[in-house]
Amino acid sequence: MVEKDLERLLDALPLEDGMRISFHHHLRNGDDVLNPVLKAIMDRGYKHLHLKASALFPVHKQVVKALKSGCVTDITTNYVSGPVADHLSKEGLEGSLTMQTHGGRARSIIEGGSPIDIAFIAAPAVDESYNASGVEGKNPCGSLGYAIEDAQHAAVKVLVTDTLTTIEHVQIEGRHIDHVLKVDSIGDTSGIESGTLAISSDPIKLKIAREAMRLLKALDAIQEGVSFQSGAGGVSLAVTAMFNDYLKTHGLKASFYSGGITAGHVEALEEGLVGRLYDVQCFDKRAIASLKQNEAHIPISASDYANPSNASRVIGDLDIVLLGASEVDLDFNVNVTSDSYLNLIGGSGGHSDTAEDSRLTIVVAPLIKARTPLIQDRVQTITTPGAHVDCVVSERGIAVNPARRDLIRSLEKTSLPIMSIEEMQALAHHYTKRPAAVKKGDVIGIVESRSGGRLDTIHKKVV
Amino acid sequence: MARSYLFIPANVPRMLQNADVFEADALIFDLEDAVSSHEKDEARALLARFLDEHRPEGVELYVRVNSDDDLEKDLRTIAPYDVNIVLPKARSAAIGNLTTLFKRLKRRFRVLALIETPKAFFELDVIAEDKMVDGLILGAVDLLNETGGTFSEDGDALLFPRNKLHYAARAADIRSIDTPWPRVKEGLEHDIKRTAALGFDGKCAIHPNQVPSINEAMSPSPDALYKALRIIKKYESEQTTRFSLDGEMVDKPVIEKARKLLDKAKRYGMEVGEDG
Repeated sequence: MVEKDLERLLDALPLEDGMRISFHHHLRNGDDVLNPVLKAIMDRGYKHLHLKASALFPVHKQVVKALKSGCVTDITTNYVSGPVADHLSKEGLEGSLTMQTHGGRARSIIEGGSPIDIAFIAAPAVDESYNASGVEGKNPCGSLGYAIEDAQHAAVKVLVTDTLTTIEHVQIEGRHIDHVLKVDSIGDTSGIESGTLAISSDPIKLKIAREAMRLLKALDAIQEGVSFQSGAGGVSLAVTAMFNDYLKTHGLKASFYSGGITAGHVEALEEGLVGRLYDVQCFDKRAIASLKQNEAHIPISASDYANPSNASRVIGDLDIVLLGASEVDLDFNVNVTSDSYLNLIGGSGGHSDTAEDSRLTIVVAPLIKARTPLIQDRVQTITTPGAHVDCVVSERGIAVNPARRDLIRSLEKTSLPIMSIEEMQALAHHYTKRPAAVKKGDVIGIVESRSGGRLDTIHKKVV
Repeated sequence: MARSYLFIPANVPRMLQNADVFEADALIFDLEDAVSSHEKDEARALLARFLDEHRPEGVELYVRVNSDDDLEKDLRTIAPYDVNIVLPKARSAAIGNLTTLFKRLKRRFRVLALIETPKAFFELDVIAEDKMVDGLILGAVDLLNETGGTFSEDGDALLFPRNKLHYAARAADIRSIDTPWPRVKEGLEHDIKRTAALGFDGKCAIHPNQVPSINEAMSPSPDALYKALRIIKKYESEQTTRFSLDGEMVDKPVIEKARKLLDKAKRYGMEVGEDG
């Protein structure tokens, strides 16, 4: 039976103190499922819940209230930004924060290491058999990739939808589902696009994008059948556009693009520049529309995307990945979890997964951000181990990991500004001076590697 | 010889710090229009500190000085540094006055004359022939404010000044540098193509994102370079200044043009491949 009242649904659920509840983030900053559900649970007085959201965005302000009230004491997530991140950075939490990777989250749910008691799954369209689609309904979000493991492995699975209809594109099968809650709105599709979409007009970022393309050309990395992944940040979108232009002018076709999908990826598919899009997350409306219409645009689960225990994971065949960084250290370790002052600003998402699996991992970032140098002696938080990072591209030079002797040899006769990571650091210090050490506060959590080990600890900021 | 001349406001630290990463062949640090009158002292101090601590290498450096009472202060500030100047609202008399000023400062600067008044066009020959002047820059916005013309994509209002300035520079064997396009992106490619087609040596940029397009348009194309390379190779092997290549007659002026093109490519660090 479809429940239309949240309170009556909660009455029917086996809620207890200390339970582990999950949410997915496909509606990103447009999500309106986590906040009302968590508020209703909090209002009932439950304590010590473990929140397992695949990501937390600025919209998720209710989490701060739940942390302050003791309703939520532990958080496991792959990415956190906005007020929740600010609160955790300054105040910490009663229990612990675990930052996973997208692939690691899927692995741990499937293998039982990170059990979920109740999964609340925002579903843009649900039919009478409880099948769910992400591309239909009045607030489509596209791929439901990060919700698939929750839907299959949580003890209790609840779909939350604003559209009951017949559906054509089943992404979650009704046989897994225990309850459906019909609400007026699950959120706002346009919120998916916040912080993404636009190719940067910042001249520094465009310079970095051009340098990244020059590097790819110098390495002769763009060949027929190449596979490629880039994010939705300004530099990534610019490189994707340049990558597409290169394919077009050289008569090449890529085999697949993977990960979070944007209009730039869709345009490449429609122009015949790439064979398939493996979509674990849609970043804009164009991607959602394409996922609905184009058979070569394929939704995949987080496990099929990046689970290290899944031998057929898509990124196992990835040739090139382009990733960002807030900090890089002299061992090429990358931090995208916090900034240099211990403010939480994100998390791995697929960063660590793709860096490890891809044959060529290129990190792109400005050498200086707000007078803070990119290259540190030691990053504040290791998100991705340096062993999986091949090149760092900034506006003033390119550093190649000494472990990649093959790349260094290939670049010996180029005119590219190749330098050591130490030289790159010195170049930044020429402008910023060496930054003073930042005092770390108490440990509030850990960064978990995709295979489940402890990669680093996360410290509270000293205010 | 520079293809792109990027204006950098001398009062914006972030722009100064990144000035050399935008791939411009020349930088023009602006103490004139980009800086309001009450900020001039601060901008001079900032520019001096920047040149002391972070002087960019491998790029031509100019300072657009003020043409009024601030001129001497500007020149005194930059006198210790290896930079040259862009003189705004250049007229023959103003350039003549520089000689006196340079003597007093005991420092001679090379000058790019910014031609942005109608009267200057009727003394271009004199300006271009001055020994201090290395090049002429067209300043279209101020010029059109006086002539009433429109700075449009068709470029009609600038056809005469562009040609006149370019011919005067050519006749004096100095640089011809075209006006910046006033919008960052829209219409830029079209305008740059016109600049290149008229034969200008370089073009100014008012935004870093204009620089890559200018550099590309003002550089020889790979096809043209390949053809030039084959002309020179055939000339060297046959030791004659008149021969046929791909059905086209080649003579001395064509050989000279091919040589100049290859020299230009070498200056810009372009690779000239045997396979085109």
